[in-house]
Amino acid sequence: MKKVVLIGILIGFFVEGYTQVQEVNVTSALGNTQGSFSILFQRDWQLWKKKKFAVGVGGRFTSYFGANQYYITAPAKLTSGSTGPLVIFKENIVANIDTFLIKSPQVNSLNLLINLSYKFNEKFTVGFNIDAIGFSFGGNKSGNYINGIVGSRESASPTIFNILLISDNDRGSLNSELYGKYYWNEKWGIKLAAQFLFTEYTTENEVQQSPELNDRFRNKSLLLAAGITYKIN
Amino acid sequence: MKYLSIILTFCVLLSCEEENNTPSIPINDNFDPTMATKLKMGSFVGVSGHSVSGMAATYDDNGAKVLLLEPLNSQNGPDLKVYLSKDLNAGSYINLGSLKSTTGKQTYSIPGNPNLDEYPYVLIWCQQFSVGFGRAEMQ
Repeated sequence: MKKVVLIGILIGFFVEGYTQVQEVNVTSALGNTQGSFSILFQRDWQLWKKKKFAVGVGGRFTSYFGANQYYITAPAKLTSGSTGPLVIFKENIVANIDTFLIKSPQVNSLNLLINLSYKFNEKFTVGFNIDAIGFSFGGNKSGNYINGIVGSRESASPTIFNILLISDNDRGSLNSELYGKYYWNEKWGIKLAAQFLFTEYTTENEVQQSPELNDRFRNKSLLLAAGITYKIN
Repeated sequence: MKYLSIILTFCVLLSCEEENNTPSIPINDNFDPTMATKLKMGSFVGVSGHSVSGMAATYDDNGAKVLLLEPLNSQNGPDLKVYLSKDLNAGSYINLGSLKSTTGKQTYSIPGNPNLDEYPYVLIWCQQFSVGFGRAEMQ
């Protein structure tokens, strides 16, 4: 299946030509006691004769903030018991999951992203984008590490290196959006999106002791996002 | 961008409204302290602007350790827990469970037979918002 998609994209590029489109958009997202703000630049290649399907790459800065958010054990080896590509289908192993409660998490990330979109007409486009690799930064936070009935106060910082792998194999803070765009003229449009955002903290010490040492804790948030988009060319 | 950030922050703050979800009907747990050995005791004071009063005492009840709060009167709040803590800020603690009620006589089992000298404080603690409501220093 992957080969078919890849061959289709290559045909689009080299046989039928492409059109480049560059775009900037600013998006804010809100959920229950959390939110985000992001700025994205992307360059899309619209493929095939009708130029309806596009693939693109770009960069995105995301700033996430929340109140009293629960972060849970992050590594797939602990949450799913394995690190293979099938972890996406595995249930969490509850006994392996500890919690890190942060009063005011705030994570900033700068990532390269991948974009796929389909243009219905000049006004409507739908698509999906996802961060692939980058880095994060933010202040050191104190939180409540909870392991069953015992707990302690610990310090943590955003995990610095971000990389998209598969499901809980991901590392760091990664943003993704399933979006629809409406362009009211040639340049300007609005975007509505479901934003799925991973943020991750690394504790100063490996606070989780069982079933093995761990210092990475992840929060997954599904937010409703809205933004403004501008075509550069 | 500045205005967007302000609007986002305002919306988040609006959605942080606390719910007082601890039961407030007085309870009276069945525990006879005269049949157990008192280990330590202390009296509650409110913290962080909250009001909590009453006594806390730990007992050895035929080898099992028990915490008795009597008569407890606590301000209501969200996600209130009873902690045995090594310090006043819940830096290291044992969670004895959710506060059963804001008023009345209530007991909590202390699991794991810990050394109570290492846990000199009983805290009424809002876990969700990481805020102390009351503390009792056990002596």
